[in-house]
Amino acid sequence: MYYPYFITYMLAGFVISVGVFIWALNNGQFKEQQRARFLPLEGELETQPVRGSRMGRLETYALFSLACCGLLASAAVLAFALWRAP
Amino acid sequence: MASSANNDRPNHRTARAFCLTSAFWFAAAASFGMIGAGYLIAPDFMANIGWLHFGKARPMHVNLMLFGFVTPGLLAAAFYYVPKLLRTALYSEKLGVFTAILWNITLPIGVVGLAQGRSQGREYAEWPWSVDMLIVVLFALVIFNLVMTVRRRLEPIIYVSIWYVCAAVILTGTTYCIGNVIWKPSTGALLGIPDAILLWFYGHNVFGLLLTPLGLGVAYYVLPLATRSPLYSHTLSLIGFWSLIVVYTHIGTHHLLQVPVPTWLKTIAIVDSVAMVIPVMVFLINIWYTVQGKLGTIHADIGAKFVFTGTIYYFFVNIQGSMMALPQVQRVTHFNNWVVGHAHIGVLGFAGVVAIGGIYYVLPKITGRPLYSRFLADLQYWLLLIGVTGFAVVLTIVGLIQGNAWLNGETVYRVLPEIHLYYILRASLGVFIISGAYIGLYNIFRTLYFNPGAATACE
Ligand code: HEM
Ligand code: HEM
Repeated sequence: MYYPYFITYMLAGFVISVGVFIWALNNGQFKEQQRARFLPLEGELETQPVRGSRMGRLETYALFSLACCGLLASAAVLAFALWRAP
Repeated sequence: MASSANNDRPNHRTARAFCLTSAFWFAAAASFGMIGAGYLIAPDFMANIGWLHFGKARPMHVNLMLFGFVTPGLLAAAFYYVPKLLRTALYSEKLGVFTAILWNITLPIGVVGLAQGRSQGREYAEWPWSVDMLIVVLFALVIFNLVMTVRRRLEPIIYVSIWYVCAAVILTGTTYCIGNVIWKPSTGALLGIPDAILLWFYGHNVFGLLLTPLGLGVAYYVLPLATRSPLYSHTLSLIGFWSLIVVYTHIGTHHLLQVPVPTWLKTIAIVDSVAMVIPVMVFLINIWYTVQGKLGTIHADIGAKFVFTGTIYYFFVNIQGSMMALPQVQRVTHFNNWVVGHAHIGVLGFAGVVAIGGIYYVLPKITGRPLYSRFLADLQYWLLLIGVTGFAVVLTIVGLIQGNAWLNGETVYRVLPEIHLYYILRASLGVFIISGAYIGLYNIFRTLYFNPGAATACE
């Protein structure tokens, strides 16, 4: 009989998760969401200008074509699977 | 430009130690991967050295990648960003360094244990019992350090990255004990089907409740900061976090769809595997909107470039995963190299690439110097990208050949000659990855030590 252990474990996980959620709610973790968006940027105000180089642009194109190849390959696999499906 | 950040100059020794740990074990684990790939081409490769045959090299490769490279790499960034986001110091740098040292003692013990044949023979849970216990201690130390830092925070709001990293270590700390059945030291297993259920509950949680949340935590920190854009929506990110906790925790049985486990459990696993689209798309929409129009800036920062690339693989691996959880699809894709392809897209393409990105992003900040070589980092980027994309293509093709053949009743030995060529291709592609790993190790080592770069904040 293993079910009782599994169910106990699941219940424990559930209760702890709900507990943490309620703590977060009461602790105001879901307030001030606008300020929260900026948290990583705090204390790091220096901005860096973007230096667009020709190599950089070429690399972007290469990456973009690689991603397209990935999508095309996936599409080809799907098309092939459908075509060969009994 | 003089450094304006960090007026109290923390030394970040924990983050440094974890960066180095990750880089070292990446190279070691890739070497074991190459040995495994060699055996698949030529089974008498290395003349069957007893302590290193395929059955031993494989778990060494897999476990070292998971617990040596990816997890410490993602934690390295976390040990930097958690204190930063909470505007407090890490609870104990000494404890952190001790954790890193213990980590580096634990892994060799594990490798020696596996070499001696003391594997517990359950995938992702092969480490011998003593190593399991050490890993539980390691997670407990990390949890303690992070949770105490959260308790001492000066910033009242807990940013989503911190939710993710804390959940990852706490959940893994517990599921690791349970999945490895640590209360049965002699076998580390239950009996029969319950054992399989428990194992895959744990197994998938390694990806879903360890690597995924750690990876998302790094992405949520690095990408807004690198592009100097506020997060598109913090509320959305919290919705993503809680839906991941609800959905990801019980999809493990999708590894057992062709095994006699209870049907209701399979149904839950399938439904939630498809429902994973919610947390995944929530994350991707949020992070891609955040960086919208800033691809140039991402490009200019090698760390951010790695992390952003990881998010693209995250998209691919999850969409693929949701489809693989459909029984009809799995009739072809199960038990063959398709899954190995998926595993490399996920663990390397997403989690590993994000880990390296996190390391490269925080290194200049923790050392106060630019990376030793941006060129080497770019080279590593391309080597890994070609390697992992190539793996995905080659292994998917092999998987389809094997899956179709077996579905049509072909015997294994007739299929093997057909796929031999692809195994050679996979090993060749492995050369790209292993070169990337060693180049990364050198670059990270030189950035930390003997770095001739000017001692100002980078860029
Ligand atoms: C929506 C999310 C995902 C779903 C629904 C999913 C689904 C699946 C399924 C169904 C399998 C089993 C395939 C079989 O044995 O036939 C599998 C295997 C695997 N997945 Fe995923 N996956 C997801 C995301 C990920 C991610 C993010 C990672 C890595 C970080 C990952 C890593 C792996 C690995 C390593 C395996 C191989 C397990 C083995 O050794 O058999 N998956 N996944
Ligand atoms: C040098 C490059 C690499 C080579 C040659 C390589 C090779 C291999 C081989 C031969 C296997 C066993 C597959 C089988 O049993 O058929 C494997 C499994 C695996 N590798 Fe790699 N690998 C490499 C890099 C990586 C990296 C960088 C990661 C993660 C960051 C990784 C993660 C995994 C995982 C999770 C599995 C288990 C897959 C499963 O059970 O489905 N590998 N690899």
